[in-house]
Amino acid sequence: MSAALAYDPALPTWTLAGIFQALSSRLGGDAEPLDEPSIQRLVEQARSGDRIAAQRLYRQHVDRVFRVVRGLLRSNAEAEDVTQDTMLTVLTSLDRYSPRTGARFAAWVTSIAVNTARRRFRRRRPELTGTGELPDVVDEHAEPERGVDTARERAALLRALAELAPAEREIVSLRHGAELNASEIAEVVKLEPANVRKILERVRERLGARIEALLKQGVLS
Amino acid sequence: MTDAEITQLWSTLEPSTRERARIESRVLEWVEASETSLLTEWLDLIRVNPIGGLGLAAASALSLLMFTPLGWIASSMLR
Repeated sequence: MSAALAYDPALPTWTLAGIFQALSSRLGGDAEPLDEPSIQRLVEQARSGDRIAAQRLYRQHVDRVFRVVRGLLRSNAEAEDVTQDTMLTVLTSLDRYSPRTGARFAAWVTSIAVNTARRRFRRRRPELTGTGELPDVVDEHAEPERGVDTARERAALLRALAELAPAEREIVSLRHGAELNASEIAEVVKLEPANVRKILERVRERLGARIEALLKQGVLS
Repeated sequence: MTDAEITQLWSTLEPSTRERARIESRVLEWVEASETSLLTEWLDLIRVNPIGGLGLAAASALSLLMFTPLGWIASSMLR
């Protein structure tokens, strides 16, 4: 059955696929970001079969997941695949989610994303360089909708990220891509929060300096 | 660069409209497939191609009976 047939307003029952299609924004990812209590309510509703709640959870997190995994992987295509797998796992594993004190739902979603990206990373191991760094790969296709400045900044960020060690790359991606705090990051990467803070401080200086240098050199994908 | 400036820079890694649409359509396809029961799929197949569909359904039912332990139990009960 094609996706186009999934939503039929004449039918009284709506499929989850139909809800996705009917309500999805084709131009934007996240709608207005929701606060944590609202997200937790959506999780409860989605668990009990509320399909609109599941769709809203998807839209609240899909861009965040992509931002994080794009920083960890070699290409947009890989980031697409990992984002898709992550969102499917999230939507089908809501029953396994148990909120912990101080940890947001986004931290759980992001930990699934990082684990999915790690599996992808392991499969790609032969393509890694001797030091375990990602090869310097730029996107295969230009995206005309992004401006030149954005493209330049994006290229500089990706190149600077590729020069970091994998563990550092994960930590900064979780901080800046998913906007997790040190405790949440520590939970995902299995380190002490104090160590995460130290790594973040050290990497931020290095990353910032490298990006500025690359922008001055005029790096562009 | 400050923490906020680096976070701002990360927004350049957001998916493009096309990428977002592709991800969504794949998730949509999977969700739709997971919601469609096997029976519904068979009925759809038979409706679209009655002769071929019935042939396939018969062959599948026969292979289920012959090649799975559950099939062996079911066929022995039918005898």
